Amino acid sequence: MIALILKRILLAIPVLLVVASLTFVLVRIVPGGPFDADKNLPPEIIANLNAKYHLDKPVPEQYFLYLGRLAQGDLGVSYKYVNRTVNDILSDAFPVSLQLGTISLSLAVLVGVPLGAIAAVCRGRKEDVIAMFLSTLGISVPGFVIGATLIFVFAIELRVLPVGLWESPWHVVLPAVTLAFSPAAYLARLTRASVLEIVEKDWVRTARSKGLSQWSTVTKHILRNSLIPVVTVLGPLTAIVITGSFVVEYIYAIPGMGRFFITAVMNRDYDLILGTTLVFAVLLIIANTFVDVAYQILDPRMRIED
Amino acid sequence: MPSKTRQKKEASSEASREVYPRVRKTVNKAKIKAMTKSSDAKSDDRILIWRLAKGLGQCFLALLVVVSILSLTACTKARSRFEPGVLRVNLGTEPPGLDWHTATDSTSFDVVSNLMVGLTQYTNDLTCAPSCAKNWEVLDDGKRYLFHLRDDLRWTDGKPVTAYDFEYAWKRLLNPATAAQYAFFLYDVVNARDYNTGKLKNADLLGIKAVDPLTFEVRLSKPAAYFIYLTAFCVSFPMRKDVVERYGDRWTEPENFVTNGPFKLKHWQHEYKMELSANPQYFDGPPKVKLVKMFMVPEASTAFALYENDELDFIDNRSFSTPDVERFRSSPEYQNYPLLRANYLAFNVSKKPFTDPLVRKAVAMAIDRSIFPRILRRGERPATSWIPPALPGYSPDSGLKFDPVQARALLAQAGYPGGKGFPKAELLYPNRDDVRLTVEATQDELKRNLGIEIELVNQEWKVYLATVRKDAPPMFRNSWGADYPDPETFMNLFTKDCGNNDTKWWSPKYDQLIQSAEGELDTKKRADLYRQADVMLCREAVPIVPTFLATQNIMVKPWVKGIAINPLDLQFFKAVEVGGQ
Repeated sequence: MIALILKRILLAIPVLLVVASLTFVLVRIVPGGPFDADKNLPPEIIANLNAKYHLDKPVPEQYFLYLGRLAQGDLGVSYKYVNRTVNDILSDAFPVSLQLGTISLSLAVLVGVPLGAIAAVCRGRKEDVIAMFLSTLGISVPGFVIGATLIFVFAIELRVLPVGLWESPWHVVLPAVTLAFSPAAYLARLTRASVLEIVEKDWVRTARSKGLSQWSTVTKHILRNSLIPVVTVLGPLTAIVITGSFVVEYIYAIPGMGRFFITAVMNRDYDLILGTTLVFAVLLIIANTFVDVAYQILDPRMRIED
Repeated sequence: MPSKTRQKKEASSEASREVYPRVRKTVNKAKIKAMTKSSDAKSDDRILIWRLAKGLGQCFLALLVVVSILSLTACTKARSRFEPGVLRVNLGTEPPGLDWHTATDSTSFDVVSNLMVGLTQYTNDLTCAPSCAKNWEVLDDGKRYLFHLRDDLRWTDGKPVTAYDFEYAWKRLLNPATAAQYAFFLYDVVNARDYNTGKLKNADLLGIKAVDPLTFEVRLSKPAAYFIYLTAFCVSFPMRKDVVERYGDRWTEPENFVTNGPFKLKHWQHEYKMELSANPQYFDGPPKVKLVKMFMVPEASTAFALYENDELDFIDNRSFSTPDVERFRSSPEYQNYPLLRANYLAFNVSKKPFTDPLVRKAVAMAIDRSIFPRILRRGERPATSWIPPALPGYSPDSGLKFDPVQARALLAQAGYPGGKGFPKAELLYPNRDDVRLTVEATQDELKRNLGIEIELVNQEWKVYLATVRKDAPPMFRNSWGADYPDPETFMNLFTKDCGNNDTKWWSPKYDQLIQSAEGELDTKKRADLYRQADVMLCREAVPIVPTFLATQNIMVKPWVKGIAINPLDLQFFKAVEVGGQ
């Protein structure tokens, strides 16, 4: 297992290099620059700005300068938030997103997986219909509608929860539920499909024929094996949820990093775009490594393969 | 499937020992009885569902309990509707920076305007009042200004504010290494442009000098009647050399920041909120509120809901959606103020058919400007002239008024009777809902009144800016906000050398008028020169069609007194009171 983790760490380096290089090229291809504003600046001022941020240098030189800084863990400076480095911005924002994302993800797993299992066990019955109706609702209703509805009901009409902001534990409830909605629904559908597939397997029949109870069959034999696809999606899902959601952070005014995925691009804040992309890539790699470790725990065959 | 339930009930298999005691503990007896009576697999399924559902239920129950306790605590605290002496406002977004040399946006300026004061100060009726400077002399036919500073000015760390702080600040603004976007503001100062562009290395040759601690001298390369307004604008505020040099990029963080205005920066949680506390050392006396909490709520509907729930005391356009304006228009808490921000439709006069002034005039006369406030519903003021009513040089007759009959005649004269043969022209606009509504209305007006087809093209904001600057399409929608309350900020836009003139139109006569007006110290003559230029712009050459002036919509809670909006959209909280009903 340690060998696997080490292998993943070594593989991460070229992956990150490719991600950084591709993003570097892509952000420079997009029309418009960081200093374009409705008030056009005199060329002399643009020249001063470009010199300050090394944007006056040829693009290949900028690229190697960037890689040099990156190797030292310096993600660069923001062109929009003057005097703030990308490291500063992300280290302020990421803990907030991590906190909210962890709560939401736990909620999503705790609700989604049992809901999917119930639906599968009761296939075709009313429990299945209800569970699948809820999960279809969760997937198809966008976050801003869920968020706005929750705000309207709990904050404005009932006045039991705050509208937004990030002040106390009770400010976490509505954003966490909003953020958990879609992943929970997705996990429920996935668990259901997976359980249905596993139920047909030979070993399940064997388990039943040797007289195991339904509970033991489902929890020890069916659910454990059907969690493989669930764990597979949990990797990227974790990276997505803990890096924050633009919509949820926007509507609840939460100072997380999700907003930068959109606003950095809108502002052509090159280093911030690269910074957010790299943080996301690193988290994705970490999450996928965990997934691989989890595979080995869930399915002994994987250990042999590795 | 074998009848497992019965088997478990009768035999003492491992499985039955495992399942039943646990089930008995958790499931009520009646339920188990019912389950055991029912047929085999189904009942086992039910136990399973019951357990899973119970798990789920417990999760929700726990959540419900937590929420109830929390909300109960919240309710029992009996939150008061306001905090006396504390003003809670919404900034909308994180200020990109509080260094007033590198800040460029209204959010940053809203904060800086409350933390700092300059030589002079804008009043809400658009004049410049003395501030750090108790008075000033205009010498050498308007080419030399001598500012006399008050002697009771203090920075928040207790040190006196001197003319040297102004000299350092102005030189830093012009230093190319600062890369200040607003450095061009001081280009009228002797040698300023050369120094800022690196042609001149010696800052001592600039026309900026602290004669003594209380006298600040500025020499201009040409008379500039609007110059005094620049001394009230954020970029010209003084700055502490020792603080900037000591803390480098972090000098604006609360622990390092030294300011001289009515408030000081107490706390700054990036992307979330800022707290400004009253500065007891402010020369004009401390402000009436002890704390201003500035939240950064980007979503208007959330900010509005916060206001409705008494979690914000004051909101403006940043926190308004159009339906909210409609809903609260008759509320005593609602107020509407005109702003010096003009919207216009521009032509690229190098592209056919808009090379012909007759076509441009026809378009100008075919658009009924009164539709814009009806569509946008924020009290917008329709405009036909480029100089707004609040500024010298304004005349209601400068521009072309709505006259569809005359418009059709002009179009026929240009060779397109009834719009026949008129090429389909593109109208480019940035991707924003309110802008989309205005260009759709324009498209409709032109179709109805002139019979011409306009194709609407939208682009993301920065792409739009890049397109307009590189090669503007035949028509595009744009807007301009005043930096200072003088016609110059509007009229200079369409001179030949202005980087913001994307219409490709210019005229030596127009440039001459603007140049003369800039140096004219007689206010009456100056207003007249601008009026002539405005007529040229909006009635004769028509490279642009002014459409409307934007407004600021605000809502203020009844316990807040003294909020006033400046037409430059600056918000000063010095005179605001909270709680004194």
